Amino acid sequence: MGNAQAKTIRIGYTAISVLVIGFVVLPLIFIVWMSFFSNRILSLPPEGYTLDWYRRAWQMADFRNGFFLSLRTSLIATAIALILGLPASFALARARFPGRETINTILMSPMIVPGIVGGSSLFVFFLEVEFLTGWRIAGSSPGLIAAHSLIALPWMIRLVTTSLIGMNPSVEEAARSLGAGPLTVFFRVTLPVIKPGVIAGSLFAFVNSFIDLEKSLFLVGPDRTTLQIALINYLEWNFDSTIGAVATVQIALITLLLLVTDRYAKLSRAF
Amino acid sequence: MSEVVLQDVAKHYGDAVAVRNMTLRIADGELVALLGPSGCGKTTTLRMIAGFVDATSGRISVGGRDVTGLPPNRRNMGMVFQNYALFPHMTVAQNVAFGLEMRKVSRADAGKRVREALARVRLGQYGDRLPKQLSGGQQQRVALARALVIEPDVLLLDEPLSNLDAALRHEMKIEIRQLQQSLGLTTVFVTHDQDEAMSTADRMVLMYQGGVEQIGPPAEVFGRPRTAFAAGFLGIPNLLAGRMTPDRAGFAFEAGPTVRLQGQPPIAGRAFLALRPEEISLSTEPPATGRNALAGRVEIMTYHGSAVEYQLRTDAGPMLSARLRAPGLGGQPVLPGGTAVWAHWAPEAGVLVNEH
Amino acid sequence: MSMSDTVAQMAPPDRPDRRPPRRIGAPFLTTPALVFVTIGLLAPLALMLRNSFNRFDPAELMISAFTAENYVKFFTDAFYQEVLLRTLGISALATAICLVAGVPVAYFLARHVSAFAKRMLLIVILVPLLIGNAVRTSAWMLILNDRGVLASVLGVFGYEGPLGLMYTATAVTIGLVSVLLPFMIITLNSVFEAIDANLEDAAGSLGATHLTVMRRVVLPLALPGILAGTVLCFILSMNAYATPVLLGGPTFHMMAPTVYQQVAKAMNWPFGSALAFILMSVTLILTVGVSALVQRKYRRWSE
Repeated sequence: MGNAQAKTIRIGYTAISVLVIGFVVLPLIFIVWMSFFSNRILSLPPEGYTLDWYRRAWQMADFRNGFFLSLRTSLIATAIALILGLPASFALARARFPGRETINTILMSPMIVPGIVGGSSLFVFFLEVEFLTGWRIAGSSPGLIAAHSLIALPWMIRLVTTSLIGMNPSVEEAARSLGAGPLTVFFRVTLPVIKPGVIAGSLFAFVNSFIDLEKSLFLVGPDRTTLQIALINYLEWNFDSTIGAVATVQIALITLLLLVTDRYAKLSRAF
Repeated sequence: MSEVVLQDVAKHYGDAVAVRNMTLRIADGELVALLGPSGCGKTTTLRMIAGFVDATSGRISVGGRDVTGLPPNRRNMGMVFQNYALFPHMTVAQNVAFGLEMRKVSRADAGKRVREALARVRLGQYGDRLPKQLSGGQQQRVALARALVIEPDVLLLDEPLSNLDAALRHEMKIEIRQLQQSLGLTTVFVTHDQDEAMSTADRMVLMYQGGVEQIGPPAEVFGRPRTAFAAGFLGIPNLLAGRMTPDRAGFAFEAGPTVRLQGQPPIAGRAFLALRPEEISLSTEPPATGRNALAGRVEIMTYHGSAVEYQLRTDAGPMLSARLRAPGLGGQPVLPGGTAVWAHWAPEAGVLVNEH
Repeated sequence: MSMSDTVAQMAPPDRPDRRPPRRIGAPFLTTPALVFVTIGLLAPLALMLRNSFNRFDPAELMISAFTAENYVKFFTDAFYQEVLLRTLGISALATAICLVAGVPVAYFLARHVSAFAKRMLLIVILVPLLIGNAVRTSAWMLILNDRGVLASVLGVFGYEGPLGLMYTATAVTIGLVSVLLPFMIITLNSVFEAIDANLEDAAGSLGATHLTVMRRVVLPLALPGILAGTVLCFILSMNAYATPVLLGGPTFHMMAPTVYQQVAKAMNWPFGSALAFILMSVTLILTVGVSALVQRKYRRWSE
């Protein structure tokens, strides 16, 4: 029964997709699995299973401090992106004014300019400002937060703008006609309607700031390393399962955040 | 000969039944309309005939050839899609030529046939245009030309008129019927609009919840709906529940009174009396004997240009709609809301229908 | 056919009542963000462009000048040209692999799976994308190193020799493909989803086989989107940093790590700046050129 040709085509696509998606995902599955091996060096086959590497990773100041520095930096960067991005999104989504396209391009440019180029230019900029003023910025907390806010901002604006554009403007008009003032409309109608976009924007902003490597590379100080930098510094000399444990924690965290985001917004729209 | 036969064709999606055991024989050159509300299975049936959807069980044959397991590209059917599905990156002529190209028709021959097909739908001048440069009605005709140029065994039309405005829809309805008859094409036409079905089809298949509710020529289905769903779908709002009296000459409403029936086949068990609003007359005096009558009160009156429609609350309980000629066109004066009236009709006007 | 018909069906693309209104104060809402991006990105970039014309001095780091010597140095030093060519070659290769592997997966997701399965698969594809370069490359090191997963698996089949995969162009390409594929798949998926599935059915019912449908209907319609996805992958791979550094090792040089090396380690800001602008310019010129070339062929119906 059925159409054999369609079935063959379907099987072909499924097979290719399994291979390709497997290629992308399998390394992560292996690193998670092997983080529980008791082997001293990450290798197959397992000599036994242990949670020791997680304890060790936690005991290493570089990873522990790096994690908290990353967490704090990304949270503050997300908050700054929200404060700067929300009003800008409203203007871009709702109003028509000369230069709107240009402003949009400028606000999206941190996403377009390569991380290494953006990072190195910021690094030089900070140092030159230091020469002129004596303020220490590169390697300082505010400098790092500024760079991460720059990473977070375009994601926030993109996702909030999308959800504002998708919003039916009549609902605000309906609220006005029912007697609500502009502020009431904003807090009781507009904000709840675009909440999914704001949440998705915040999560994407947070994640992209958290995993940033290229910009942070220039701006971390010796006692001030983000988790990603701590990871590659460690990788330069070691390849034991501590790496696996840290990676697993990060994979779990990011997967969780993605699952949450998926509840609020179509993930593919972010790209 | 391209008679289409569906034998016990069914489509299940997991536990959901999209089409339940459907058997249908479409004669060579016949136009059959699949009619029903959305979700009734009409489009799934059409897509099974076309080969886009695999039937869960049953067989489909065309002109005696079993096509059940054939992919769409080997069924030789011309299909017109609801949104026309014209290839946006090809010109009108390239669109029409596509099927011929797939059939490896020589360039010269194909060119000639494309010109003929476009001329047949009166788009001879439009071959070099892109689909988006045409109006909806013109796109519709390109889709038709593209489906017809391959000389299909069967023409399949999926809601072909639903994206057109009222005037154009009427024009295209006639055009499709003319083309189909002049070419003698076996055609399946899917629609949710009973007017489209009635004015184009030789027979209509009324579908509901995946099953066939009634099959027959339009006049028959329209005049004698067999079920409450059929009556309701064909625009009869008055469906009064009750039972046939034992002598089969009367109908006892569940709400109380009994009225006389005439010329109705016997139905055992619960049934409905279907009354068209146009068949009901209203009077403030009791009507002449020989007519069925229910007493009631006018609740709402609405104007419809040449007619006036009344919603009545009968003393027995159920609501009735009655459609009368407007006063200015020779009808009786308007009865204001609250007026006590008699709603009456000739016994032969009531159609008895099954509950299911 | 009547005239009114033609006119009535040609609806304007933008309904006037749905266009956003003009609001005088609105542009100012963008000011804080605009100032922030200007100070944080545009000003540093402008400074960098200026620096690229300065002169490097080992003692004073940078001497203000207006010289093209940094650019001249790049184009006269075979080493740097090789770095650029290697970057271009690896990027082109990785992008091509992503294109070939990404098209069927994106099409599969758009046409052959349920909405729920697609959501889940998209998350599965996005996790490796958003996991960060550090974690993803370390996972690949785990697979590719001489005592890694791949070597163990091959060992089971009797292959004993050292893999020698780490710190090669192959390893870098594999790593790049694995980060770029999710981008390609997600971009192409929305492209395929935007194509009306009825068009494929229509072509099928007119006698086209699946391959013909793809070649004659789907791919031509998807071309602008495929181009966008390809350009995106190419740009990302031109600018890749972590993958070449960790999988390519200290002797495998690509452009972005070289920029880092010059600016942060050698402190040769003028030359590092020049390298950064050469990298961006070459990428830009190539992508704009290829896009223009491809789009010229299809402009008639794509806009």
